[in-house]
Amino acid sequence: MATTSTRNAEAQLDLLERVWAERKGLLGWITTTDHKRIGIMYFFTALVMFGAGGVEALLIRTQLIGPHQTVLSPQAYDEVFTMHGITMIFLFVIPMTTGAFGNYLIPLMIGARDMAFPRLNALSYWIYLGSAIFMYAGLAGGHAPNAGWFDYVPLASKTYDPGNNIDFYGWGLIFNGISSTAASINFIVTIFKLRAPGMSLNRMPLFCFAFLAVSFALLFALPSLSVAALFLELDRNLGFHFYDAAHGGDPLLWQNLFWIFGHPEVYIIILPAFGIATAIIPTFTHRKMVLFPLVALAEILVAFLGFGVWVHHMFTVGYPTLVTVYFAAASLIIVIPSGIQLFSWIATILTGTPEFKTPLLWIVGFIVYFMLGGLSGVALAAIPFDQQVHDSYFIIAHFHFVIFGAAVFPILGGMYFWFPKLTGRMYHEGIGKLSFWTTFIGTFVTFFPMHILGLLGMPRRIYTYPAGMGWTFLNALESVGAYVLASGLVLIVLNLFISYFRGPVCEADPWEGDTLEWSTSSPPPAYNFPVIPTVSSPYPMWDKEDRELDKRRLERGEGLMATGHETLATTMQDAEVDEILSMPSHSIWPPVCALMLFGIFAMLLLHHYWIAFGFGVAGGLALISWHDKEAHAG
Amino acid sequence: MSGVSPRRLASGRVTRSAQADRAAAAALVARQRRSAPNGIWGMALFLCSEITIFGTMISSYFYLESDNKHWPPAGIKPPSVTLPLIATGVLVLTIVPMFLASRAARRGARPAVLGFVSLALVVQCAYLAVQILLFRHDLNQFRPQDTAYGSIYFTLLATHHAHVLLGILLDVVVLAYVAIRGLTNYWLTAVRNLAIYWYVVNVIAIVVVLTQLSPSL
Repeated sequence: MATTSTRNAEAQLDLLERVWAERKGLLGWITTTDHKRIGIMYFFTALVMFGAGGVEALLIRTQLIGPHQTVLSPQAYDEVFTMHGITMIFLFVIPMTTGAFGNYLIPLMIGARDMAFPRLNALSYWIYLGSAIFMYAGLAGGHAPNAGWFDYVPLASKTYDPGNNIDFYGWGLIFNGISSTAASINFIVTIFKLRAPGMSLNRMPLFCFAFLAVSFALLFALPSLSVAALFLELDRNLGFHFYDAAHGGDPLLWQNLFWIFGHPEVYIIILPAFGIATAIIPTFTHRKMVLFPLVALAEILVAFLGFGVWVHHMFTVGYPTLVTVYFAAASLIIVIPSGIQLFSWIATILTGTPEFKTPLLWIVGFIVYFMLGGLSGVALAAIPFDQQVHDSYFIIAHFHFVIFGAAVFPILGGMYFWFPKLTGRMYHEGIGKLSFWTTFIGTFVTFFPMHILGLLGMPRRIYTYPAGMGWTFLNALESVGAYVLASGLVLIVLNLFISYFRGPVCEADPWEGDTLEWSTSSPPPAYNFPVIPTVSSPYPMWDKEDRELDKRRLERGEGLMATGHETLATTMQDAEVDEILSMPSHSIWPPVCALMLFGIFAMLLLHHYWIAFGFGVAGGLALISWHDKEAHAG
Repeated sequence: MSGVSPRRLASGRVTRSAQADRAAAAALVARQRRSAPNGIWGMALFLCSEITIFGTMISSYFYLESDNKHWPPAGIKPPSVTLPLIATGVLVLTIVPMFLASRAARRGARPAVLGFVSLALVVQCAYLAVQILLFRHDLNQFRPQDTAYGSIYFTLLATHHAHVLLGILLDVVVLAYVAIRGLTNYWLTAVRNLAIYWYVVNVIAIVVVLTQLSPSL
């Protein structure tokens, strides 16, 4: 009897395997709509960008290792620190979190077989790749953006920056923004509509709540950046006057528009880290998250409140006290949802039975740096203090603790955590721990002295400094720290690279994880789940009887859904079964459309407006062909 | 838990939307759904982004106004009110045929869909033509390169007109596909999305025209 049912299950899997087979070779990757393959492409592209941004960081630190260094010319220094900021924020962290982690994991965590709009998902990736190439083309041609990642006018105006350096920034960010907007729409619909039956919103993993919050924040924050960049390009290329005070414009309009985007952006960067933390902590402490509903609400609240605090980046521009005090108070309110989460993580670790393996170590490091960076952040909400240290190295210290220590540490921990899921092999635990401690210490040595340098008056963005300012020793220490930090990161890459070939093979669920991605094989098959699981708690893998039920349904061939790329749509709130969707398979049109967009932006940059128009027409025709092959009515 | 039960899935009572390639079957699927399909969600969220773009531009308009003593600046006449308001009023009336087209689509009535969308298309094209003439007329009075007023005035209007143009192109594509393919499940949702797109663009038209005319109101 048992053998019959096993044979039956094998036959079902064969059928699914055939239905979901991908094209072979390079063409398979270019035309893929599989969220896992797209996630992997995002991962490696973002990793390359991380490398580029890291090299830029090391160049900066090498230049500042002592007074009067000449590794970089002043002009090159401007380009390098600007590209470092743009790369790390737009081309590394966001694509790595939403693109790679979100893409790969969210459908697996909610028990779906793909994203809601698989072709749009592919388009997001190709646009991201195009925008990365676009912005780095500027650097390759010696015209990289050079006015800092927030690109203040009038420095960034045509008068003071006559080359096309800034145009790579302006058009590049609009281009990049299309990718993030499409991706966030895709995540929201996926999370709302494709959850496994029974995964009502209150049973959704906190990881997904974090990504939902990020997607909404991106959706509403990006338009402000795109409009600001459009105004900038119109000013620079067609002689408009949005930011030109002499003709009724206002440079502060740029600052407002930029930071209306820029502050939510800070939370967009850090929220996925919160999500990864809430995925790793329960697994390694063997208990449920403390205050689950409050943490879910706090994640949403952080994203929401992030829209009301932007002027705290502008305390020195001379706004009336009433305005600045309002924004200082609003900034302090964010402490509440952040604190709820912080205490929840700590309480879960303390009251559980923590097993300090590499992934959890990264989360502990993250908590330490989030607290330190958060404390200096609270201090910066005090207006007089902010005015004192504005544009000094204190700010650099604050946001590198938050962005590197807090936002990137969970990404690195997440790489270790999900490595067995992606590859079916285990990384080396000892080297994993070593890489953590190296990076942890390197981070502290690199960024902590910056607080002191800031208080000593060292301004940010200077390409060198004279001896005898009392800055020399700390700068040298930071530069040494940067190399230690970098070697920690190299250890991670080596560990994972070698383990991919040599690591011991491990089972589907090596951690006894709590969410659904651990229920399927490692690496997961193209169809993710043989039968769509049913869920009755936020920790579906710990509900053994539910998973037994899945197995029995597979043996009976029940609810297999194998007449195409099929997945289940459920109702938004209660996740009751609604309909069976047929998802599109491979398509060449997403990369073609991205290529046309690249053409449009490249021609806008080169002032060939009619050729840009021609690319627009071609892109429109490509979109029409895209819809020639119908997918589910979605 | 009745909806959750995998038994409902096994019993074959869950609809397979992709197999609904005939109008009647697609209409049945649309009626049996218990929540909005993915496509509607996608369009709604896309429009959130577009609304935010207009919100940002309109905020910028008033921000710049607050910076300037004279708005519009000396030498530029305040905008004339009558024609833009009438044009916008006529455009907003297309909500009616768009609503009817959307409802006809859910009934599976292809000729009615084609008729209502075509009717709206004619009015929308006329609106765009009038707006382009007005735009050229304004460009003869003052230029976006003169002052920040001109910059935001023409950028806001051009962005709005671009959305009208996009809507017209969407009309044409949807009309063509529905005429050739019929109201399959895919194109049924597309007709509904087209209507939603135009509802939002019409409301944006009202806000944009009121912003544009605000110095004269």
